[in-house]
Amino acid sequence: MGRHKGRDLRAAVKTSIACGLAVLAVLMPAGAQPSLENPVKAAYLSKFAPFIEWPAGAFATPTAPLVICVAGADPLGANLDRAVQGQKTGEHPLTVRRLAEPEAAADCHILYTADPLVAGAALEAAAARPVLTVTDSGLPVQGMISFVRVGNNLRFDIDEARAQEARLVISSKLLALARTVRRSPR
Amino acid sequence: MSRRARFNPPAIAALAAAGFLLAAGILMARYEDRLYSDQQIKSVNEQAHILAASVAGAVAFDDAKAAQEFVQALTVNPQLLAAGVYDDAGRRIAGFTRGNNALPEVPEGNGEIEAGRIEVAYPVTQNGNRLGMVFVRAAAEPAGRRIARYAGLILLVTMGALVIVVLSVSQSALSRRAGQLAAVNRRLQAEMAERARTEEALRQAHKMEAVGQLSGGIAHDFNNLIMIVKGNLRLLRKRLDPAPGQPVPYIAAAEEALDRAAALTQRILAFSRRQPLTPVPVRLSVLIEGMGQLLKHSVGDTVEIETRLHAQWWVRCDVNQMENVILNLAINARDAMPNGGKLTIETRDVHLAEAPGDIADFTPGDYVALTLRDTGMGMDEETRLRAVDPFFTTKPLGKGTGLGLSMTFGFVRQSGGYLAIDSAPGKGTKVALYMPRTEETSG
Repeated sequence: MGRHKGRDLRAAVKTSIACGLAVLAVLMPAGAQPSLENPVKAAYLSKFAPFIEWPAGAFATPTAPLVICVAGADPLGANLDRAVQGQKTGEHPLTVRRLAEPEAAADCHILYTADPLVAGAALEAAAARPVLTVTDSGLPVQGMISFVRVGNNLRFDIDEARAQEARLVISSKLLALARTVRRSPR
Repeated sequence: MSRRARFNPPAIAALAAAGFLLAAGILMARYEDRLYSDQQIKSVNEQAHILAASVAGAVAFDDAKAAQEFVQALTVNPQLLAAGVYDDAGRRIAGFTRGNNALPEVPEGNGEIEAGRIEVAYPVTQNGNRLGMVFVRAAAEPAGRRIARYAGLILLVTMGALVIVVLSVSQSALSRRAGQLAAVNRRLQAEMAERARTEEALRQAHKMEAVGQLSGGIAHDFNNLIMIVKGNLRLLRKRLDPAPGQPVPYIAAAEEALDRAAALTQRILAFSRRQPLTPVPVRLSVLIEGMGQLLKHSVGDTVEIETRLHAQWWVRCDVNQMENVILNLAINARDAMPNGGKLTIETRDVHLAEAPGDIADFTPGDYVALTLRDTGMGMDEETRLRAVDPFFTTKPLGKGTGLGLSMTFGFVRQSGGYLAIDSAPGKGTKVALYMPRTEETSG
């Protein structure tokens, strides 16, 4: 009997391993989905800059770097560093800074956060500063640009009213591509 | 003749003008065409530029749908054959084609008209960032249509050139024709004047003929009557004359008058070419030489006589009558020079192909010309034309009979010669006798 029990256990382990592999094999493509979404988000973040006009004084010098900050947990990781590599908008080279404290967001030009825990504080810090705030959808607070998934494509909504409060001018070419645009009441 | 020469200056000038016009027209058309082509290229470039600017966002954020909308907007331009949008990786994200115009894998275009199409590639940039490329291909207007567009202009210029050529050619032909007409007109006028002169001469000749016949007939009968009266007077004188040698005064006066009447009838007969002549061969030069003393005596001391006797040929005429004629003409010359002057008597052998003066029924041939030229008062044209009319005289009443030149004329004509009178007021008078040459000599 004991022998039987031992054999049953091994068989059960074997089965569970096989099942686990099978599940893993099934899950692998599903897991690849977010890994494709993040590089796209990283690329978008690097491409917003040319369509945005910052107010005078936002840059210390004409060749000062344009800083893209990531507040809180960083889902993009190396994707963003790769996307920014060697990129320029005008004379400003793009750089990435990951913030330890969300309050440091006031010195950024573009602030991205996907972390629901720090989003509120980061946006608070950037408020009334010429910082383009970008968030993922589904957060308790929304930035000026928020990513949304439409089918297989990554789109975005734009809150132009908030951008205007921050003295940022968003190119109409970018507005034309937004899923929705919230404009300031005139 | 020279007018019909090959080099016609107005025609050449017109051809040059027409050629210049054509050349200028062609140059203008080419220039216009060049401008139009440049404009076409510029227009396509602008389209590409606009497309590139429009699709910047769509390219940056990989929005194929938005990019396609922008591309689709271009299809309203029928000139565009194809358009494409490429992202920074070189992938085509939007495009349209018309007909079988495949979009290229790699967007490239030189912005020139090539094989009837223009291809332009233009980078998509945003704030200095190169995001991708757009490609536009447009149809250039075909050469045939372009030429057709200038066909009207070419036609007009060609017509203008043609009109210039035709006008100038017809103009030169016209002026040539006008020149010919003017020449013909001048000839016609000359012929008409010649004809009028000939007619006048003929009329004069007929008049002379008629007057001559009439007066000649009368003179002839009259002469016979004079002879009868004269014979009877002679018989009467024999009867009445008691002592021969003692003339009866009345009969003598009557006989004297009859002699004068007989002389008059003789002159009229001479004019009417009815006088009895005894023509013999004679050389006028010799005849005149023999008359030297007589002529000198007749014209007096105030008139100088110069003789130039060159004639050698013989003529046939009545010597006595010829001497009379020469004497008569010399006396006429003297009367025309009351204050003295010079009388030139000349003889020449001449061959006449046409009449020397207004002479009807002239026969060309060899003549001996006898000319008497004075330096007197001359005659006006009217007087000259009537000079040989019988009983026409410019001398005072009773001084001349008006038969001198008439007689001369009658005698010369009866001898087969011609009389020509040349005169003008103040320029003297020239009377020329043309006596036909004879082969006979006096042996």
